[in-house]
Amino acid sequence: MQRLAPILHVLGLVILIFSFTMLAPLLTALFAQDAAQFAFDESFAVTLIAGFALWLVGRRWRRELKVRDGFLLVLLVWTGLPAFATLPFLIYAPQMGFTDAYFETISALTTTGATVMSGLDALPPSLNLWRHLLNWLGGMGIIVLAVAILPLLGVGGRQLLKAELPGPIKDSKLTPRIADTAKLLWAMYAALTALCVLALKWAGMSWFDAVCHAFAALSLGGFSTHDSSVGYFDSPLIEAVLIVFMLLAALNFVTHFLAFRQRSLAAYRHDPEVRGVLGLVLASCLGISLYVWQAGVYPEFLTALRYVSFNLVSIATDCGFASTDFNSWPMFAPMWMLFLSCVTASSGSTGGGLKMIRAVLMVRQGVRELEHQLHPAARLPVKIGGHAVPNQIVFAIQAFVMMYIATVVTMTLVLLASGLDFISAFSAVIACINNAGPGLNEVGPGTNYAGLSDFQTWALAFTMLLGRLELFTVFVLFTRAFWRG
Amino acid sequence: MSQILPVVHILSKVLMLFSAAFLLPLAISLGLADGAYRVYDEAIVATFVSGVVLWLFSRRGKRELQTRDGFLLVVMIWAILPLYSAIPLLAYLPDLSFTDAYFEAVSGLTATGATVLSGLDSLPPSINVWRTEMHWIGGMGVIVLVVAVLPMLGVGGRQLFKAETPTPMKDSKLTPRMAETAKGLWLVYAIITVFCILALWAGGMSWVDALVHAFSVMSLGGMSSHDASLGYFDSATLEIIVMVFALIAGISFSTHFMAFRMRNLQAYRFDTEIRWTFGVLGASILGLTAYLLYKGFYLDFPEALRFASFHTISVALTLGFSTTDYNAWPFFAPLFMLFLSSFIAGSGSTGGGIKMLRAVLLYKQVYRELIKLVHPSAAVHTKLGAQSVPNKITYAVLAFLFIYVASIITLSFILAASGLDVFTAFTAVVAMVNNTGPGLGQVGPTSTYAVLTDFQIWVCSFAMLLGRLEFFTLLVVLTPVFWRK
Repeated sequence: MQRLAPILHVLGLVILIFSFTMLAPLLTALFAQDAAQFAFDESFAVTLIAGFALWLVGRRWRRELKVRDGFLLVLLVWTGLPAFATLPFLIYAPQMGFTDAYFETISALTTTGATVMSGLDALPPSLNLWRHLLNWLGGMGIIVLAVAILPLLGVGGRQLLKAELPGPIKDSKLTPRIADTAKLLWAMYAALTALCVLALKWAGMSWFDAVCHAFAALSLGGFSTHDSSVGYFDSPLIEAVLIVFMLLAALNFVTHFLAFRQRSLAAYRHDPEVRGVLGLVLASCLGISLYVWQAGVYPEFLTALRYVSFNLVSIATDCGFASTDFNSWPMFAPMWMLFLSCVTASSGSTGGGLKMIRAVLMVRQGVRELEHQLHPAARLPVKIGGHAVPNQIVFAIQAFVMMYIATVVTMTLVLLASGLDFISAFSAVIACINNAGPGLNEVGPGTNYAGLSDFQTWALAFTMLLGRLELFTVFVLFTRAFWRG
Repeated sequence: MSQILPVVHILSKVLMLFSAAFLLPLAISLGLADGAYRVYDEAIVATFVSGVVLWLFSRRGKRELQTRDGFLLVVMIWAILPLYSAIPLLAYLPDLSFTDAYFEAVSGLTATGATVLSGLDSLPPSINVWRTEMHWIGGMGVIVLVVAVLPMLGVGGRQLFKAETPTPMKDSKLTPRMAETAKGLWLVYAIITVFCILALWAGGMSWVDALVHAFSVMSLGGMSSHDASLGYFDSATLEIIVMVFALIAGISFSTHFMAFRMRNLQAYRFDTEIRWTFGVLGASILGLTAYLLYKGFYLDFPEALRFASFHTISVALTLGFSTTDYNAWPFFAPLFMLFLSSFIAGSGSTGGGIKMLRAVLLYKQVYRELIKLVHPSAAVHTKLGAQSVPNKITYAVLAFLFIYVASIITLSFILAASGLDVFTAFTAVVAMVNNTGPGLGQVGPTSTYAVLTDFQIWVCSFAMLLGRLEFFTLLVVLTPVFWRK
């Protein structure tokens, strides 16, 4: 209890603050006179009281949090908030069931964008806003998680990114500079979102749609207010705007911040990931467009280029919008997109997966081992952006990547054993662990996750969480060493 | 040129020696008067003459081999012997294309067991003997490769196994004690094979069938003299014999050698891998039996156990015999077996995949990283048995695993892009890289690789070599650095 109470105290505070975010959809409901108003009243009250109670109970054991507490806190926040976030859904549509509602909110807060809901167009606007707001809040959480918390916890070689932070961070205590860093980055995030809203409105969306899609694009969540996602608008202009903002969101927000402060683009040049992200996406867009065009799916190359670039960028950056049913393309194309979703997003972005920096490091390490075969005695450092990376970090990253692969294999086998077909199981696991959204076949862009059994839904909710919290944060809780002493 | 000559010189000797391998099918052909004896005459002459020519040509470049030459020699032997091995097949079956014949020979010599031939039952017995003799010879090659050559080259953390070889070895020169080690191991291999032949004969096979299948089992290859593979005999006794010998072949032959020399079973107790291999296999067999019963595929326990145990052992140890079309089982079962095939076989065995020792090391390394998250400054050692593993080796093993996974992904994409369905492409690549044999889907246990296009066949041949030579050996030779002075 002494161990847990201080964590619950902080958790209570987070829930308390979180309850106020429900005011936005509540106001929308009042304003739009939609049917979901009563749902938000009650949810707000319940969340507020629960948060307050936790805070109060934990207050007596209040103390400075240690690094080790960080693991538990992060996990509790990421499992606790979705539970409260389900309230509006459960109250408005009790037939939905807790399993599906929890899947939807986990998917929202981890910015995955996989949905079990259909008939989105007919949903009260306030509920749609709530889904997208969750996406956006999730994105905020991820930025802090990725830039401030995970490096501190040392998860999967994240220490590497410490150097990139604006200010020095002490190693032993959790709170000090997190708040500062977070505020600056959130300002950046909010500013880009505002720009995106304006651009989408200018491109032809209604204000409401513009806000919702901007939330989903900047957080790389990928929810939409329409069943047919961005395909509903059928507008090349909107797609182009979204492509730009998705790519921006897939870059490191620290880099955006530096570029903004220095008023120059030099920061992007020094970022070791930017080149990889843009180069890979560009080459893939051209290659896959050619492939799809050659296969005769689209009669004209430009049409192919339009659909491929939007859907490919959307999946590769782990956003998850769709403008067409890419499941019907020759299998190589969607598989390649799923593969990209594993490696494309940058480390300080709102995207998921392994992150570009780890992928680059793994490739360099592979090359180094090959050279080692020839010159066994040579000392060959692995370099990123001109700096040699300490071996310990390379180690940690290798272990992380292996854990990632092992998790994908295990979860795929679990889903297969539960009766899903191979392509659906494998693609669903990849889409969920990378927090991308749509998979293929039964969970493809033309359909959603509603067809899965309860067991499968829980397995995938767990997978999304694993991916978002970078595996180790969760797995460490299963070791005996964590609970000892 | 001066770099290649000494390697070619050794290769020429190997070729001359290899020509003697055709004597066995020749003798059988003459003995049984099956009408194929001419093709072996041709093969012997062609192989021997090329050996002599190369020997004369390269005589002047003779010198002591260096580590670097070792890579080239290994690759050349494994890529060129199949050319000569294919001669009898090409000569006897004029309809067979060179691509297919080379594939069959590579599959033979890498002990993979994938075939493009059907109508095996009506082939002359000597041809079938030749196909599996390639397995057996390949098995001999693999044992020396993994126990003596690769550790010396330092491939993928193989240095670890240096300690296990009977005698100490120097690091710089290739030849010194290799011959002795090899002889000891081959003796054990040959003796066990003789026992296997006797056991299969006693179990009800004809002499020729016993010979063919013993060759296949001991090398964990998997070719058979019947289209229906071992299902042709439909005999539980034979299946048990095959399982026992497959398990023996799946254990490191250095361990067998030690046990043989010390005349007691102590050596098996000290082998860390055995416990893991048997443990995982036992648990998997029980699990899959339960799964097949639960799914209602088999109705009574003994029947389910019989099929599950035989196929799990056959596929997991990368043998590849089948007695039924397990492709028809609920997908989880065959995919799980394929998954096992990537790591179950022991490190000095004739099996393929990443080997149990590397899998155990990976597991321990991931666990170590988790402990490090809890105690960031603790020095945790990875231990195997009583011995702690140096970081350098853990590194090399992790890099090996990365190359393994990256190769599977890349080759699957290549096959998928060439028009194969994703499921077939993926399982074919896994089956090739692990040297298992049958994949699933279009290349499942009841069909052959003949359905693939020429391009796909070449990709598969490459994948088999890549897996057999433990990736690094082949990839190093393909890097520009290798050819630079």
